[in-house]
Amino acid sequence: MVGVVWLLNLKPAPHGLSIIASSSGQAGYDPNAPQPAVATPSPSPGASPTPTPSGATGTYTGQPEDAFYGTVQVRVTVSSGKITDVQPLQLPSDRARSAYISQVAGPMLRTEALQAQSARIDIVSGATYTSNAYAQSLETALQQAKLG
Amino acid sequence: MPVTVQVLDSTADDSMLDEVFEEFARLDQTFSPFLDGSAVSRINRGELSVEEAGPLVVQAAELCRLYEVATGGYFSAWPGGRFEPSGLVKGWAIDRSASILARHACDDWFVDAGGDVLAHGHNGDGGPWRVGIRHPVERNRVVRVVLASDLAVATSGTYEKGEHILDPHTGKPATELVSFTVAGPDILSADVYATACFAMGSRGLDFLDGVEGYEGLAVDRELRGAWTAGFAALCEGA
Repeated sequence: MVGVVWLLNLKPAPHGLSIIASSSGQAGYDPNAPQPAVATPSPSPGASPTPTPSGATGTYTGQPEDAFYGTVQVRVTVSSGKITDVQPLQLPSDRARSAYISQVAGPMLRTEALQAQSARIDIVSGATYTSNAYAQSLETALQQAKLG
Repeated sequence: MPVTVQVLDSTADDSMLDEVFEEFARLDQTFSPFLDGSAVSRINRGELSVEEAGPLVVQAAELCRLYEVATGGYFSAWPGGRFEPSGLVKGWAIDRSASILARHACDDWFVDAGGDVLAHGHNGDGGPWRVGIRHPVERNRVVRVVLASDLAVATSGTYEKGEHILDPHTGKPATELVSFTVAGPDILSADVYATACFAMGSRGLDFLDGVEGYEGLAVDRELRGAWTAGFAALCEGA
């Protein structure tokens, strides 16, 4: 069984970027397709699929595709037939990258565990409280205490 | 609400800072929901209409309407029908302070009101102002340092139990994130967008993507950060 290969083409849509899959050489653009579709399986250089009873497992690198803004290439990790990671290798612009990540990744939005650091700083921006929330909770507290 | 103003210009004097604090006091007297005699309290008791409250209140209401439209209703100064412009007034006060300092030809200063910051020029070391984004849990540490020379940085959120930012569409607390930081050229917009984006959750990053010149960092309940494409370039270590 050959592995699933995703050849993704990135083109602008009115409200962001739609990701569609294409078989090699055939790029299509469907503005009504916000979700990626499975491409016709074909082997990709460097891919080493591991067939399992529940689906393919492995890392697949798509061919670089010419998109409206430039070149797009992605690498997809599949585990037991489910996509567990999508990593853009090339994206035409920072804005496209951000929109791509937001549009396609959904639950796989790339995030980073934040580390706390001690740094020399002049000022701190933080949500010590919020205007409305603080106001509401304080008002409630005052009412309960019959002071407000 | 704690307000900190620092002006490094040698030409600065106390009277300029007094003007800034008087501006905050004036806006507080007009807009504070905790003062029985404020215009906002009187409006909410039905004693006064927005128009009757004068041009300052009318302008605030108009700005609130504009931002309500711009944020698709995720910023709203009329939750449940009450007039609550506090989310706009904080950034607006900072903005008006900036005008005062600019009028006095000050170059190197910052204004910090309740964690919303507008920084102009350079700090004491001659570099950009170093604005730390507070870590949600380790309160004396930061997750990023934004380098601000002519930049507004506003953070909305709640780290404490019992405090909520409500999603105006559902009336329920927005619980996906613990904080949302917005950086951009204008403190009024940064402040409002931070509040609205917090209510949107991680989709706030999509919203900011569509707003030229504004970048954001969303922190979720597992303390994972996600950000718009241009946010990293604003930070130390970029």
